[in-house]
Amino acid sequence: MNNATASCASALALAAAADLQDNLLTATNDLERLQTLLDTSHEALQGGFFGALQLLQDLHDAGRLDAEPLGEARAHLASAVKALQFQDMATQLIAHTSRRLHNCADQMARDAFADDDMAMFEEAPLRPNPVTQSEMDTGFIELF
Amino acid sequence: MHSILAVDDSASMRQMVSFTLKNAGYDVVEAVDGEDAFDKARARDFDLVLTDQNMPRLDGLGLTRKLRETPRFKNTPILILTTESSDQMKQAGRAAGATGWLVKPFDPAKLIEVIKKVVR
Repeated sequence: MNNATASCASALALAAAADLQDNLLTATNDLERLQTLLDTSHEALQGGFFGALQLLQDLHDAGRLDAEPLGEARAHLASAVKALQFQDMATQLIAHTSRRLHNCADQMARDAFADDDMAMFEEAPLRPNPVTQSEMDTGFIELF
Repeated sequence: MHSILAVDDSASMRQMVSFTLKNAGYDVVEAVDGEDAFDKARARDFDLVLTDQNMPRLDGLGLTRKLRETPRFKNTPILILTTESSDQMKQAGRAAGATGWLVKPFDPAKLIEVIKKVVR
């Protein structure tokens, strides 16, 4: 390989690395937006959930709702508790994945572009993703 | 009325856990992480501690170890409610002195069933 070819190959590799880094950062920004959307929708869902509970209790306290239908309504609302835990699990999953993507982008900056500014370097997560669930089925319970 | 210390750094999880426990007739005190929980545990007795694992400052395993070193909490049931489902973490929980390991998401009825089993 002559010097011109080597230089051209190197420039192409750098361009590809820059492109890849851009894509990684775009993905992390998208995840941040996803987190915001998730938080907003969860807040609305949870607000509705507890608002309904409060209304039922107020109606009961005012003598306009008997204990039996109050209990039935509360039982229906309780069944939503499992689904409402989605936000917590998704938040952990997003945080872990964002950290991994940031670390990839930072490593690329360091290795491909010799960017030695380690002040902003995002370390890779030390442990595997804590959220391994792929469904919202109830998790296992083990008493020691 | 039995009292439960519910620990989770996620506000929404704390609300869900509290709702479930209060609905079942328990007195609930919330803590935002292990350090906060340990401070609250020093101030009063609890019949059970239900804690998340991954939290800032002090995680669930660290809290469990600290509570087990405190004579008053030597025999208090401690349940770890977490997204972590690996056998390695579960064994770490057992070694730390936890009473049980519960993986999220929890089902309210099953959670209450387990609590009734371990709270005397």
